[in-house]
Amino acid sequence: MSWRNIWRNRTRSLVVITAIALGIWAAMFMSGFATGMVKGYLNDNIANAVSHIQIHNSMYSKENDVKLIIPDAKAAANNIEQKPNVKAVSVRTLVNGMIASSKEARGIRVKGIDPEAEAKVSTIAKKIIEGEYLDQNKRNPILISNRLAERLDVKLRSKVVLTFQDLNGEIIAAAFRVTGIFDTGSDPFDEMNVFALSADLNRLLSGVSEETDSTPIQPIAHEMAIILQDAQLVDSTRNELQSVLPNLKVETYREISPDLQLYESQMESVSLIYLVVIMLALIFGIINTMLMAVLERIRELGMLMAIGMNKRRVFIMIMLETILIGLVAAPFGLLLGSATIAYLGKYGINLSAYSETLQMYGMSNIIYFAVNPDIYWQVPLSVAFTAVLASLYPAWKAIRLKPVEAIRKI
Amino acid sequence: MKVIITKGVTKIYDPDRIPVEALRGVDLEIEEGEFTAIVGPSGSGKSTLLNIIGGLDRPTEGYVEVGGHKILELSDNQLIDFRKEHIGFVFQAYNLIPVLTARENVEFVMLLQNRSKKERDQRAEELLHAVGLKDKMDKRPNELSGGQQQRVAVARALAAKPDFILADEPTANLDSTSTANLLDIMAELNKEEGITFIFSTHDQRVIDRARRVITLVDGKVAKDEVKGYGVMGV
Repeated sequence: MSWRNIWRNRTRSLVVITAIALGIWAAMFMSGFATGMVKGYLNDNIANAVSHIQIHNSMYSKENDVKLIIPDAKAAANNIEQKPNVKAVSVRTLVNGMIASSKEARGIRVKGIDPEAEAKVSTIAKKIIEGEYLDQNKRNPILISNRLAERLDVKLRSKVVLTFQDLNGEIIAAAFRVTGIFDTGSDPFDEMNVFALSADLNRLLSGVSEETDSTPIQPIAHEMAIILQDAQLVDSTRNELQSVLPNLKVETYREISPDLQLYESQMESVSLIYLVVIMLALIFGIINTMLMAVLERIRELGMLMAIGMNKRRVFIMIMLETILIGLVAAPFGLLLGSATIAYLGKYGINLSAYSETLQMYGMSNIIYFAVNPDIYWQVPLSVAFTAVLASLYPAWKAIRLKPVEAIRKI
Repeated sequence: MKVIITKGVTKIYDPDRIPVEALRGVDLEIEEGEFTAIVGPSGSGKSTLLNIIGGLDRPTEGYVEVGGHKILELSDNQLIDFRKEHIGFVFQAYNLIPVLTARENVEFVMLLQNRSKKERDQRAEELLHAVGLKDKMDKRPNELSGGQQQRVAVARALAAKPDFILADEPTANLDSTSTANLLDIMAELNKEEGITFIFSTHDQRVIDRARRVITLVDGKVAKDEVKGYGVMGV
């Protein structure tokens, strides 16, 4: 009987069903958006900056001293590359120093890289917007970001001076030429990092004069950045590498950038908060409709009670009506929601219009929707819960009716 | 045998603010198998009296015994069960559940009584035959005329095998043919099954066929006229 009652006022029931379906859709959309945004941030950060796993000298993270190198880095890198889950390794020379143009000087970190290896680990090679990627054959080329170029007021082919400490503790300065300008889309990263050739930095750090640099030098490596085949196995791979390299510090992106871990863990709670807010809105919509349905049927309910339908049955009938509406609506909402997420997960949603703000937070322009699979049971469950909750008041109202008064009402 | 006894039944609506005295001490005794009309002008308390007898409403004061049950001593839930088992109601309108067919409406009370499917089917069919709606069993109320709807209501009231049928102005919305038809059916059931019928009405056509006419004026029994025994007008 509840089922048939729903279809008495087709329009009204359809409105509620639509509202619930849209609510579910909205919950999934918001969750997809939030998760997608965070995932995008995470993936960009992994691709541009932190990689999946980084290896340093075990003292390096505390002191950031150029002397704290990874001994025998070349061999270690070759060794790591053989591991099954490792996709690529880049050995980097890191120097903290100052970059100066004729106008301005700023503190930065110089990443000395092997261009070929680095291209496999980070996306920097693809982020060049002007000029070209580092060329092994040029002398002292440097990549800086468009933001930094603006600050320093330099252009492509301008000269900049890097100042830093070498291995002997001497302050050295060297001229570099800007051969490429990059833009990763993340302002904090772009303003802090420049890329130069590892070979150039090695020569400068070891204090060899520019004229006599033909002797091969042991590479001065501070960091090995690793990209994995399967990011899910990041922890086990880390443990494996750590056991092979007991004297070095092997860290996952979660350990290196705790903010990423925070985002990752907050994704779920944010989705849940969206869900709760939307369900709260839905509750009142459902209560309103069902209350109407009850008030409209006062006489009929009175008659039912007069002929012997007891309160429990009336209560159950009204509750069932509400729950059935929810049950009808849920599949539509879920279908609509998952279709939207599937589509936007593939093609993304382009937020270029707001990209400046997003860039300030280091987020990307295009957001590819993603959801935690848990949402597919969380949403229906919360809708069911909401429907039951929303049905209580109208049902209670219904059983409070006095049959005589109910029948009399015109 | 006296099946309905009321003593000094008083009903005051809204006793705190503007008290309206609907009944002022009604003493009544009704025998098993009566076919009785309660008449009187609007506001004389007909419906109130009927509701009190049917356990839909409670008097402010007085004593009510129906079929041996002192119904004032029953709780709300016991009252619902009492109505379900012993009383069949036919109201002026809105008798039927709009989403159910005629047959399902008749079966509904039996469903509440937890009767078996087979018994329900059989009795619903029997009753709808009896009220002459054999070919309308699977129609919904909105596909039936007013008279047909009231006949379904009578069938529904009978389905539970009640001891009494209380009908509150059952013919108020019906034309002459339908009224005659409905009265024929009720009179016949009264005669054949011995069910006690009590109407509230101010329809002369109903009054003409009642065996006993109780007239209420200002909440009191003004006249109690027994027109004879046996079913009238059949």
